[in-house]
Amino acid sequence: MNWKVSATEASTSTRLKSMVGGRVTHKLMAMFCVASVALAMAVVPIAGTANAAPKKTSITYWFWGEGDIPGITKWMQQRIDTYQKLNPGVTITLVPQSNSTIIPSFALAAQNKSGPDIDTQWATLPVLLPALQGGVTPISKYVKSSETSKWLNTSENQYKGALYAMPLYVIGVPLVWNKKLFKKAGLNPNKAPVTWAEFLADCAALKAHGITPIGIGNKAGDFGAWMFAIYEKQALNSISELTQGVANTGNAQAKLLASLKKMYTMFQGLMSKGYINSNVASLDFAQGWQLFPEGKAAMSFTTDGNALAWAKVIGQANTGVGEPPIWGTGKLAKTYDATQSSSEFITSWSPNKKADAKFLTWLHTPSNMVALNKETGAFPADSRFPKSNITNALAKTLDGFDTAGTSIWLENFIPPSIDTSADRPAGQLITSGGTAAQAVALWKQQLQLWQSQQPTQFSQFKTWAANS
Amino acid sequence: MTYASSTSAILSSANTEERPTLGTRRTRRRRQLWPYGYMGPALVALGVVFVYSFVEVAHYSLYAGSVGQLTYVGFSNYRELFIDPQFVHAMFNNFRLLFTVPIVTFLSLALALVINTTFRGVRAYRAIVFVPYILPATAMGLSFSYILQGNGILDGVLKNLHLSFLIHDWLGSPSWVMFSIGSVIVWQQFGFGVVVFSAALLAVPGETIEAARIDGANWWVVQRKILIPQIHRIIEFFVILQAIIVLSSVFTYIYVLTGGGPGYSSGVMEFFIYQNGFENGSIGIASAAAVVLLALASVLIAIYLWVRTRTAKEVA
Repeated sequence: MNWKVSATEASTSTRLKSMVGGRVTHKLMAMFCVASVALAMAVVPIAGTANAAPKKTSITYWFWGEGDIPGITKWMQQRIDTYQKLNPGVTITLVPQSNSTIIPSFALAAQNKSGPDIDTQWATLPVLLPALQGGVTPISKYVKSSETSKWLNTSENQYKGALYAMPLYVIGVPLVWNKKLFKKAGLNPNKAPVTWAEFLADCAALKAHGITPIGIGNKAGDFGAWMFAIYEKQALNSISELTQGVANTGNAQAKLLASLKKMYTMFQGLMSKGYINSNVASLDFAQGWQLFPEGKAAMSFTTDGNALAWAKVIGQANTGVGEPPIWGTGKLAKTYDATQSSSEFITSWSPNKKADAKFLTWLHTPSNMVALNKETGAFPADSRFPKSNITNALAKTLDGFDTAGTSIWLENFIPPSIDTSADRPAGQLITSGGTAAQAVALWKQQLQLWQSQQPTQFSQFKTWAANS
Repeated sequence: MTYASSTSAILSSANTEERPTLGTRRTRRRRQLWPYGYMGPALVALGVVFVYSFVEVAHYSLYAGSVGQLTYVGFSNYRELFIDPQFVHAMFNNFRLLFTVPIVTFLSLALALVINTTFRGVRAYRAIVFVPYILPATAMGLSFSYILQGNGILDGVLKNLHLSFLIHDWLGSPSWVMFSIGSVIVWQQFGFGVVVFSAALLAVPGETIEAARIDGANWWVVQRKILIPQIHRIIEFFVILQAIIVLSSVFTYIYVLTGGGPGYSSGVMEFFIYQNGFENGSIGIASAAAVVLLALASVLIAIYLWVRTRTAKEVA
């Protein structure tokens, strides 16, 4: 409309110029301007009324989940299509993220305060650190507590009474074993190794029979990060032992590094004894996992979804699932390793926060949660999800592990930059022949670098660690 | 017209030429300014893309933190860089990759000399040799990941050839990973070298070679005494270009093959910049590393320009 006015203005001006032989007097020009402005003021409201249409809401959603739950992106796109049909005024653009883009893309978006309206990050610090920097709006501002109380594992994203993100699913990390290969090695196929001694004995027996005990990949450092999450946790009495160590409070860091050294020594022992596939360092997570369904490895640490998928390949009767064997003696040793993994939140710069929250809440309606489970096998993070939908015996066992007691995924409690610069490379060092001392030296050096390079984030982390 | 009047007319016209009128001077000045006008858009683009970016990077290198939360730290990022084992190792890896330069130069020059003689299918052969250079980095990275991973295709072949003592986890072992990446670089740049040298060899006048042959020079003498000296400027240019590439353009190889791992063992300066700037949000130290990388690359670029100018003068 403004363009039309200025076009009229321009053509009138040309005509005036020709009338006076190209020399327009200032007086005439001023009169013309006043008239144009008056005309524009008169026309704009009329046109605005005439073209009044229902306001369109556009939502950009940067989504991640495929790495945990194969098929979840398709499920999400289907949900979006349905939601758009139910709400014709809303357009949602789904932008799937990969493991390597999820953190850096949002970090850039948060710096520029532009990008997605809804974003996915891994739970706890990847959500809470941007929140402390003003990039995330607490979802509890827009969703009633009667609704959020039905969501599972919300404690992972709570800080000072506010809930910052919504969970979609809960994912656990069990130990899976191939009963056929256990039998071949003379082991009891129906008994999971529970203690560390049992686990080592099983590994030794498998190795003696020419079977690779554990099949996994660590090219990008994922397995190392899992060893940290599962086994460093078992060495701790509380999460604050980790967070205070990262925050360099008192002598907490020295204690943390000492406990990390013990864990990496154990990890190094598994490597040196040949209990992990020899090419672990050059296989990525997915490639390493393939060794299990291919029958080339007897055990692996994996996700609920993978365990169920592999059971279809090697047969459910041949698949055993159990909690990871206990190595540590800390108070957290007996907690399970489950998490909501990815968390959905509303960015602080989103112009339609209410609409974002409405859509996210809608995803938790029972029909959507049932569809999530049916189409992907994922366990919805909602207490309203009828457990009767889980009929598979293996799935029931896994769901039992995930929901029975306290669950902690330790990787969520270190800043993402420490995860990428210390946690993952340290694990890579171990799987490529490095020592526990080298891995711990790397942690120490990266913690110091983070403290000096990210002074604001470090101070925010300290505050969070002290208050959470 | 009298002589006086004609002289006066000539003088007057000469004066007019010597002392142009105000209008003529303006026209001339406008004409002189036109070329700058044409260059303007390019200069503005260069200014925005290079000068502004460089000034910003240099500015950020004096700060710690992420954008929006910057803290002035002066030159301490540079000090921190040179005591950071990851950066020192990354820089060392870049220098180690310089060993690929003589290898790729020698191999591509040797092949270019061999295929310089006309034989059936020579054009097709040149095209085939060039293919690796134009392959997408992701496809190349995926293929080589499968070939070089522990128990991968290469190890399988070695095992079948009863050469098990040569089997390694080529990408997963810190001792072998840079060798593997260097080999992939040689493989890809080789085609480019062959094309560059073949083009240079084709430009050598046939009469020179013919004259040498009449004088009794054999194939080897022709290559050594005639052809290689004739294209030595191109060889110099290629060597410097390759050195610049392995110093400042190997990010793709690292990203697709190893992601800098295992640990930090295959990190290079560019990858260090990416990890710190984008993954960790430490814009200051990433910018300081970028300035150091630019300084190192500038030395090579200066040598390259000097060689180019010298070549141009010789040709002239």
